[in-house]
Amino acid sequence: MKALHIALVILIITTGIKAQEPAQDDTTRVLEEIKIKAAKRNIHADIKQSTSIDEYLAASEQVSFIKRGAYAWEPLLNNMTIERSSITIDGMHIFGACTDKMDPVSTYLESNNLSSIDIRSGQEGNMHGATIGGNIDFKRKVTPFGLLKKWSGIYQTGVEWNNKQVFNLLNLSYSGKRFVTDGSIAYRKAGNYYDGNQEEVQHSQYSKLNASAGLAYKTSELSSIRLDAIFDVAKDVGYPALPMDLWLSRAIITSATYKQLFEKGSIRSWNTKLYFNAVEHYMDDTKRPENLVHMDMPGWSTTYGMVSNLQLEHRKLVSNIQFNGYNNLSIAEMRMYPQDRSKRTMFAYSWPWVTTTYGGVSVNNVWMRSENTMLRFGASLGYHYNYSRYVEFNRIFYPHASQKNKRILTGLHVGYEKKFNAFDFSLGAGYGQRAPSVSEGYGYYIYNSFDRYDYVGNPNLKNEISYEVNAGVGFQKEELHLSIKANYFHIRNYIVGKVLSIGSPMNYQSVGVKAYSSLKYARIFNATAHLRYDIWKHLHWESSMTYARATDNTGTNLPFIRPLHYNTSLMWMRHHFHIKTMLQGDFAHVNYSPEYGERSKPAYMIWNIAADYAFALHDINAVIQLGVENLLNKQYSTYADWGNIPRMGRNLFMSLKLAL
Amino acid sequence: MKNGILISGVVCLLLLSCTKAKTDYEAERNAEVPVYYDFKEAALLHTDNYVVHIEALNGKFYKGYNPIRVRITDTSNDQTGQISSIAFFPFKENSDGSRISCPHQYHLQYHSDSNYFSGYVVFVDEDRPNESSQLYVSFTTDNKSHYASGKVKVLEQPNKNLGMTAFVGNDDIKYLIALVSPYKPKVGENDLVAGIYQCKTIDSSSVDSFPFPVQYYYTEVTGYKLLLDPRMPEPSMGNHSSPNNEDLIQLDDGLYHGVVNYTMTGNWTLNFILLNPSGNVVKGMEVSKDFTPGVEGAKSELHIDILF
Repeated sequence: MKALHIALVILIITTGIKAQEPAQDDTTRVLEEIKIKAAKRNIHADIKQSTSIDEYLAASEQVSFIKRGAYAWEPLLNNMTIERSSITIDGMHIFGACTDKMDPVSTYLESNNLSSIDIRSGQEGNMHGATIGGNIDFKRKVTPFGLLKKWSGIYQTGVEWNNKQVFNLLNLSYSGKRFVTDGSIAYRKAGNYYDGNQEEVQHSQYSKLNASAGLAYKTSELSSIRLDAIFDVAKDVGYPALPMDLWLSRAIITSATYKQLFEKGSIRSWNTKLYFNAVEHYMDDTKRPENLVHMDMPGWSTTYGMVSNLQLEHRKLVSNIQFNGYNNLSIAEMRMYPQDRSKRTMFAYSWPWVTTTYGGVSVNNVWMRSENTMLRFGASLGYHYNYSRYVEFNRIFYPHASQKNKRILTGLHVGYEKKFNAFDFSLGAGYGQRAPSVSEGYGYYIYNSFDRYDYVGNPNLKNEISYEVNAGVGFQKEELHLSIKANYFHIRNYIVGKVLSIGSPMNYQSVGVKAYSSLKYARIFNATAHLRYDIWKHLHWESSMTYARATDNTGTNLPFIRPLHYNTSLMWMRHHFHIKTMLQGDFAHVNYSPEYGERSKPAYMIWNIAADYAFALHDINAVIQLGVENLLNKQYSTYADWGNIPRMGRNLFMSLKLAL
Repeated sequence: MKNGILISGVVCLLLLSCTKAKTDYEAERNAEVPVYYDFKEAALLHTDNYVVHIEALNGKFYKGYNPIRVRITDTSNDQTGQISSIAFFPFKENSDGSRISCPHQYHLQYHSDSNYFSGYVVFVDEDRPNESSQLYVSFTTDNKSHYASGKVKVLEQPNKNLGMTAFVGNDDIKYLIALVSPYKPKVGENDLVAGIYQCKTIDSSSVDSFPFPVQYYYTEVTGYKLLLDPRMPEPSMGNHSSPNNEDLIQLDDGLYHGVVNYTMTGNWTLNFILLNPSGNVVKGMEVSKDFTPGVEGAKSELHIDILF
């Protein structure tokens, strides 16, 4: 912990000193934005041209993952689990329906219906509601009006040998002067994958169908309406790290948006969206012979809401004011059967019909003080309300729990950016709060197969309160780009599971009961360094390294904190050829947390390589790619592999992309 | 393209309906637990020009604890006479002619507001097809004693939460524990009420008038304590238990009151240990508190099963 402090102090001091010098350009952005567009692909570490959402997200240094198999990775922003981040689709809130986090929001999307993923760290991500870790906003692909090319389409297909994955992704769009429509359809099917020892990882298969449609109409020169829908269905998805699989999950995500632009005045645009989404998730544990008992655990999550955004510009001040309102109902049931399914053993709600209503206003401003200095500041104020319909379940362990719970959540942040010569510096601070999630507040006997405890929520939990500081320094000179960023969070009332001795376990593999409780505080430090060097016109080198450290108030390590991680790649481009080779790995997981069920993990390194070739067939632009992941067939499992499930061994992949 | 969108729109709407229906939790609990809150006439006894109306829940007598209400009407003027007290006595005659009583309230309690008498009877067993139980009532009007009797049929207890158990304690006395409430348990905290009775042998030759000669007679035990450990016995539940339970102690109403928490619906076993006033174990033992998935939970030798 001391080392953590020192690292931070040094960083702040160095930034402080250098900030005195004059700055030159204003291209710095502390915020990460991963562009999913193929043209921008080479600025990132990902190697495949047609990847899943998870693989795209993994390209961000700020995102790490908890993996429960080959599908539905849980994204961790700043090494914080999804409860601490807000995850949205075009500002729309959507919540998974699985109590075991088998369906983070990202599972209900597909890479071909998105244009980009906007990742904002800490309080700068408060635009879409209260958060601590930040915000991940998935941006839908939107075809602009009046393109020269009225019809366009992209078809991507590919195979991956290791798990016999086949995918087909198709996009079509029409762009008229007043009318625009676009649609996409994607289907992926994969079998079990094999680890580095050529052993089959049972229950790692999946299949997923995703379709989306959008329809926009220009109501006037400066206004338009747009209807969007995404439909996603996953079937027969295995979770090797869990004692059960997914039989079926489905999501329907719909929205209607009205957009008005203004030519004069301070108001630049007004954007209002009404949305509705419904998620259903049904587990299946009948394919696991080790389960002598079967439990049905269906879950439903339904959300409707509204986002209204006003963009203002006055001289050098750009302001964004957003109203967010949503209502979510989360239901999850447990019903156990002995092997004779006609008899039932028990019934309980793991989410006893919990309603979450949120209404809040967020304001974010950017003030361009001069060409070289910029000030960002913002605030959010929200009202958070929970209602547990069958509160009797929550009252088992908390007899005086209230059925209703109201919270006020506030957030503040300020950031300063300055450039001079080839350097740029940033410094920021923030304060924010979040309410406990449905599971943390109202969950009931949710089995966590990682530490093998049954978890119960506590409706009386206090808000988590975060104090954060962040700093960054960058250097850019023609062929060399270098940046170092760090942030530090001091989070009061940090919510974790603590053993509840009065609780008697219920789930089959459970060893005890843990209740979500507040630690006095926890501290999380994240640092990333990124380097890009153009060795030669056609040869580029890119490297990044991340470091994180997190402890609670007693100095105990927190779980799922990424050990020192690196990623280094070389790219060679010539004419229509493009070759990329990459080494990535973690150092040994030294600061692991046995208290939370973690084991030390050795260092690993894997080597990936891919080559692609672009060519034209009449009007069609084609790119064919061939590559290998984990070329050396390394057997490894990382700090974030739930249940120490081994990762995929050597994987040969091939894909073809046709753009019309 | 437009058609495609239209079709996908329609498909989406169709898919909005959920694949698996949500559990109708409230309806399901009602289906599992038959509950009778209404007193209905269960027996009519005639004596002289009086009619004795005996009311029980649902108009039936069941094995276990039955609260009763008694009204007496005078048929000569169709009025409820001025009756100061009622004595109530149930018993069963065995095929060999011996008579066994069961726990009951002998002096019924008068409720002036609704003009009825209340009490209870705990039937030890349901009556087989060719059997019946008997109820005797005695009361006094204008210094004249009246006796009435009649046969009733005791049915199997349909509510799996009103079980009872009869046993011989370590002190060689026959005991009986019958659950009085909750009728309809809920997930969460439930007030658990039980009657505890002991059986006394009566020398039948010493009694020849009412109460009629019976060999066994039950009385409420006083000052005992009933230790409680509720668990789910099914192998799949691994001996699961609940927190915040309270042992049963006797209150002014003579019944034993405690608290049981049910964490979920399903089969539960109330494991008991009965302690006498000096704190000695009359019956029952500690059961394993270990979580043993796949193994049927061991029950105390003194227990009552529950299903809701």
